[in-house]
Amino acid sequence: MKRSSTGLAVLTGAALLLAGCSDSDGSSGGLTVSGAYIPQPVSADMAAGFLTVSNSGATKDELTSVTSADGEVTLHETNGGAMEQVSRLPVPAHGQLVFKSGANHLMFDKLKRTPKQGQTVTVELHFAKADPVVVKMPVKSATYVPKTGH
Amino acid sequence: MRKKMFAAAALVAAATLTLSACGSGDDSSSPVSVVSEEAGSDKAATVLDQPFEKPDLVLTDTKGEKYDLRAATKGRPTLIYFGYTHCPDICPLTMNNIAVAKKQLPKSEQDKLTVVFVTTDPDRDTPAELGKWLKGIDTQFVGLTGDFSTIQASARTLGISIEPTHKDKKTGKTVSVHGTQVVAFSPKTDAGYVLYGEDATVDDYTKDLPKLIKGQNP
Repeated sequence: MKRSSTGLAVLTGAALLLAGCSDSDGSSGGLTVSGAYIPQPVSADMAAGFLTVSNSGATKDELTSVTSADGEVTLHETNGGAMEQVSRLPVPAHGQLVFKSGANHLMFDKLKRTPKQGQTVTVELHFAKADPVVVKMPVKSATYVPKTGH
Repeated sequence: MRKKMFAAAALVAAATLTLSACGSGDDSSSPVSVVSEEAGSDKAATVLDQPFEKPDLVLTDTKGEKYDLRAATKGRPTLIYFGYTHCPDICPLTMNNIAVAKKQLPKSEQDKLTVVFVTTDPDRDTPAELGKWLKGIDTQFVGLTGDFSTIQASARTLGISIEPTHKDKKTGKTVSVHGTQVVAFSPKTDAGYVLYGEDATVDDYTKDLPKLIKGQNP
């Protein structure tokens, strides 16, 4: 129990910090998107994207798909070293859906161009209940790691 | 996060010892402590009390030529990672972290360091594909491909568990698996004596590489 509460505290702290950088935020109803970024990929074949969806509302929602004019986007969970594609991910009431390196990530396949640091990739997040949210995801360095406050 | 990673590394190391003990008919499953890292330390590196022997691995490099790992890296500081190029997140991050840290070394030390990326997805990662991908990260990095069972067996000797690329039953998509550790081999002993987990950063490698190149403990 103790461990899980520490984990939660860390996550919350990270979210607060991320929410502070408003370069990429989008929102719809009770949902806000923050901390979005794409590490500059090696090639256009494959890229990962990360962001946090926060739900301030009392009803849960689900992320059902992510689309982009720049390429195909799918949702993935990581378990150990294995990735698994999933069709939807929950956004709990008064909670968050977190995509971060080593865990959940957006996967971009066959992009039209290789995203370079300083550019942005626009995606649209589709939810079961809330209206779609458009997010401009900034491309960061290949080794970029968001500051999580520790 | 750090603490968790240490625990995972320690578990893997312990598991390996347990596995290698099977051959001698020793069923003891008592946990073996192999990690000399102090509890609560914020270091990325895990120094092993029982170093790994360098795998006797002969594969094909990105030029399509035979590459004998032990012969090619004898007496050289060497980092080994098992991953695949269709990996969006951890594999490129890990290799880029090492590449960025390496570029901060003096040129002579950069030339000494051998970084070996062994594919876990040899069907898709042909020598040409591997070469193209690694060129986008660091032109000096060595990329190896070949028979999957050979790769899996050598990973296993380093406590790294990988599975063959397969189709996901639900989505029909191709799924590959990467290792979760970078193993550093000493130029003095040729043994794998330091592990780095997935959350090792550019700063961690930048701080440690000068020591690893000399075979010292980070």
